[in-house]
Amino acid sequence: MDAYLTQMASIAPELVLTGLAMLVLVWDLVTKGRNSNQIAYLTLVGLAVVGYMLLGQWQELGAEGSHTVFAMVTIDRFGTFFKLFTVGSLAAVVLFVLSDRREKKNHIGEYYFLLLGAAIGIFFMVSTSNLLLMMLGLELLSLASYSLAGFHKGDRRSAEAAMKYVVFGGLSAGIMLYGISLLYGLTGSIDLIEMGTADGSAWPLGLVTQFQTSPVPVAVAVVLVLAGFAYKVSVVPFHWWTPDVYEGAPTPVTTFLAVASKAAGFAVLIRFTGALFMAEGMQASVAEYGHRIGLMLALLSAVTMTIGNLAALRQASLKRMLAYSSVAHAGYVLMGLAAMSTGGFSAALFYLAAYYFMNLGAFGFLLFFEGVTGSEKIETLRGLGWKAPLIGITMVAFLVSLTGLPPTVGFYGKLRLFYEVIDADLMWLAVVAGLNSVISLFYYFRVARELFLRENESARDVKPQPLFTGFLVVLGVATVYFGLQTGALESWSRDSAASLELAESLESAQR
Amino acid sequence: MQDHLLSWITFIPMIGMALILLVPKTSTGAVKTISLIATGIPLVLSTWLYFGLFDKASAEYQLEEKFEWIAALGVNYHVGVDGLSLALVFLTTLLLFIAVPASFGIQKSQKAYYALLLLLEVGILGVFVSLDYFLFYVFWEIMLLPMYFLIGIWGGPRREYAAIKFFLYTLAGSVLMLVALVALRLDSGTFSIPGMVALAQQGQLTGESLPGGGSLLGMQFTTWVFWFLFIGFAIKVPVFPFHTWLPDAHVQAPTPISVILAGILLKLGGYGMLRACFPIVPDAFNHFAYALGVLGVISIVYGAYVALGQTDFKRMVAYSSVSHMGYVLLGMAALTTWGMSGAALQMFNHGTSSAVLFLVVGVIYDRAHHRDLNGFGGLSQVMPRYWALTTLGFFAALGLPGLAGFISEAMTLVGAYDAPDPRFKVLVLISVLGIVITAAFLLWAMQRVFLGTLNEKYKNYGDINAREIFCQAPLLFLCVILGILPHYLLDWMGPSVEKLVGLLKMGAGG
Repeated sequence: MDAYLTQMASIAPELVLTGLAMLVLVWDLVTKGRNSNQIAYLTLVGLAVVGYMLLGQWQELGAEGSHTVFAMVTIDRFGTFFKLFTVGSLAAVVLFVLSDRREKKNHIGEYYFLLLGAAIGIFFMVSTSNLLLMMLGLELLSLASYSLAGFHKGDRRSAEAAMKYVVFGGLSAGIMLYGISLLYGLTGSIDLIEMGTADGSAWPLGLVTQFQTSPVPVAVAVVLVLAGFAYKVSVVPFHWWTPDVYEGAPTPVTTFLAVASKAAGFAVLIRFTGALFMAEGMQASVAEYGHRIGLMLALLSAVTMTIGNLAALRQASLKRMLAYSSVAHAGYVLMGLAAMSTGGFSAALFYLAAYYFMNLGAFGFLLFFEGVTGSEKIETLRGLGWKAPLIGITMVAFLVSLTGLPPTVGFYGKLRLFYEVIDADLMWLAVVAGLNSVISLFYYFRVARELFLRENESARDVKPQPLFTGFLVVLGVATVYFGLQTGALESWSRDSAASLELAESLESAQR
Repeated sequence: MQDHLLSWITFIPMIGMALILLVPKTSTGAVKTISLIATGIPLVLSTWLYFGLFDKASAEYQLEEKFEWIAALGVNYHVGVDGLSLALVFLTTLLLFIAVPASFGIQKSQKAYYALLLLLEVGILGVFVSLDYFLFYVFWEIMLLPMYFLIGIWGGPRREYAAIKFFLYTLAGSVLMLVALVALRLDSGTFSIPGMVALAQQGQLTGESLPGGGSLLGMQFTTWVFWFLFIGFAIKVPVFPFHTWLPDAHVQAPTPISVILAGILLKLGGYGMLRACFPIVPDAFNHFAYALGVLGVISIVYGAYVALGQTDFKRMVAYSSVSHMGYVLLGMAALTTWGMSGAALQMFNHGTSSAVLFLVVGVIYDRAHHRDLNGFGGLSQVMPRYWALTTLGFFAALGLPGLAGFISEAMTLVGAYDAPDPRFKVLVLISVLGIVITAAFLLWAMQRVFLGTLNEKYKNYGDINAREIFCQAPLLFLCVILGILPHYLLDWMGPSVEKLVGLLKMGAGG
């Protein structure tokens, strides 16, 4: 019994989050949805509590400690990193909903409930090496996301987005489940760590053995599972849903999908590839396949960033442009995975943290100006930079960071990624990524051009939203600050990656 | 103050920028005053540095400051100057100080304009003083943003096109630089520029510690690193065939920005090659030196030839910059002390003479609101003082003996003629053609604008005013004085140049 309680203590943040979700639902029911802002504040307070608990957990865990509770849930800094990330993005999204001028103020309590539900899904999927729990978490996230995407029931685009998301999501979940069942059949285990480390003398069999005896089915299974994750993070060629869903969904939901959901997808992607191909001591025996997976990820990364950027070039809608830009950024993060090293994973984590600040900021800007102009078209921004200089300059900081120019966190993130791929003998990928940032400059700075380079005497006055503006400015300052003082994010990302306890790189045993 | 002099010089404009942002938009007088002070103090300090603190007999970096910045990657805030960078720091502070009064005519959003101008100065000075490659790169990129907005907001009719073209070209170059830079960091374990140079001298910076020997698409490590760095800097210089952004940017930019662009930004390319490209991969440099010389000569002749065909005054001056910067590349490629000194000197002298030319164009444009060389005529009758100053500027640019341009061009050509590689003799012969064409287009322009019958439209024009003279005078003074007493630069640069030539030659195993 005591042991049970101790184990419960390890998942206290999850429990609190679940309790919060229930409370939100009941509160909404009791107040008959009369004042949804109250619920938003309640959510924020709850998230603050969860965040505080997670910080405590982070401290407690220490550099390389990890433990498993209920034989399923792995508590390590890697998971905690993503949980903090989720709490942070969720809080921002709640703020976005509150500041959304086009959103109703009442009868939207379930908005917050669904967001919290999605967060619970993320919490479990990022903290397990058990494919079953991972799948369940992923499905919980997906189901909540489908409903969120269609939250504006009267809006045709929103309904279309939800429908597309469901269809694509269902398909990819099916593909992934098929891959998981193949893996289970081949190894007799649904635990990634077991698959990666078992020596093959008895069931469950490790992948090492299976690669030697039947490489083709294993490869098929791995690729199928990867395809499922790739869909979640919208890697080409599984990105088709992204622009439509991002465009149709309410902007705060889009933000959630682009930031929290995408990061969670990368979390499982990293855990999966790491556990299977880079388990300490085993990596040398599967190095051949590890290299192939790395090369495959490198190719996907190059294609994803190039297609994302090229498609973004032609978008007239800022929301759609940001959707394609998020595809391109998925390509950048994949660089870190393609390196197939702990350093590469930590670079990917750093880039995700950078992405948090700059992308939240860019979506916040979009939301702000949707409220002003009632449109998502980039050209409606004309001359508005001079009307609202503070928010305009802040947006330029986000754009600079998204392009990857110093002195911003986006630049340092890209530098880290370059560093790791060059170290992994993927020099060409760094060149491709570099040229991609040149392409991306062109479309990101179309926004700056409309804001400041073009004049518009008839531009309407911008009704200020002091609180929201303040939040965006904080994000903007953070974007620059963490570009100059990278220490904190650097050690966070390194500690998180180290807590996976993987081999340094595919070759490290031979060196 | 003295301990952190370089940091003060670099960041005082940033303090000025912060102050400007605090001033209300309507008090433009205060904005201008702050800008004058914030560019004036660095000028005073760099003058003091030049004549007072700097030990010109030494080839070492001086006034170094160093402390740890990003521990995880071993990045330091490391600044220092030697003879090469010192002259360019001085030039930068001077031109930025001149750019402020030259901008007084600008009416649109003055607060933002001067704030961006000061930010630009921080970026430029930062590049010249950085001794850490990461820091160098950060400053290098910081310049792009203010430049984009300065061209894009206050420029001519096609400013948007010119601004983004400038940005895209430069960024394309600098991402290649970044890849090479990261590879160098991985191989050398340091971001320090002197540290990398030292390793290169020991023949260690060859990519051997990188997976796959550091080769890219079959190219050897040093080869591709050299070309990536070189292209990054060559776009900035600009060297043919990377020059096409320059005429657009120059023509569309407002006069003071053209002055800065031609006077300093182009020098960043040449300086970057000397500081952070050639000595880091000396073997590749030696191997490709002749190719660089050829590119230099093409720039000289082609730039001059295209300038000859221009009817837009500013475009003509822009192409003349391509031509003049070609000498810099030719001189460096020759790998002789004379050639290298000539190149360094030419960078400074082009900084003053091209700045004068752009100011000259600005003066006439402010009055006539067009720049068509064929649309003027006989202006010497109504604007005699303007004519005199212009003549001096033109002669300095075309390399008349007694003026600064002559010394540097002559040194470059003599140095190149002396080059160990005999093929350079041919290049020198061809580049003499450039001198002739340069004289032709400048004199022809002079004839069309100032001589002949006076165009009736312009008979009421006032002569050049005191503010405009104030902007041009110090630059013309430098053109004259450095034509007579070039050792005021050469003595300072000498030791550093000789050390550099030594480094490059040793790299060749000679």
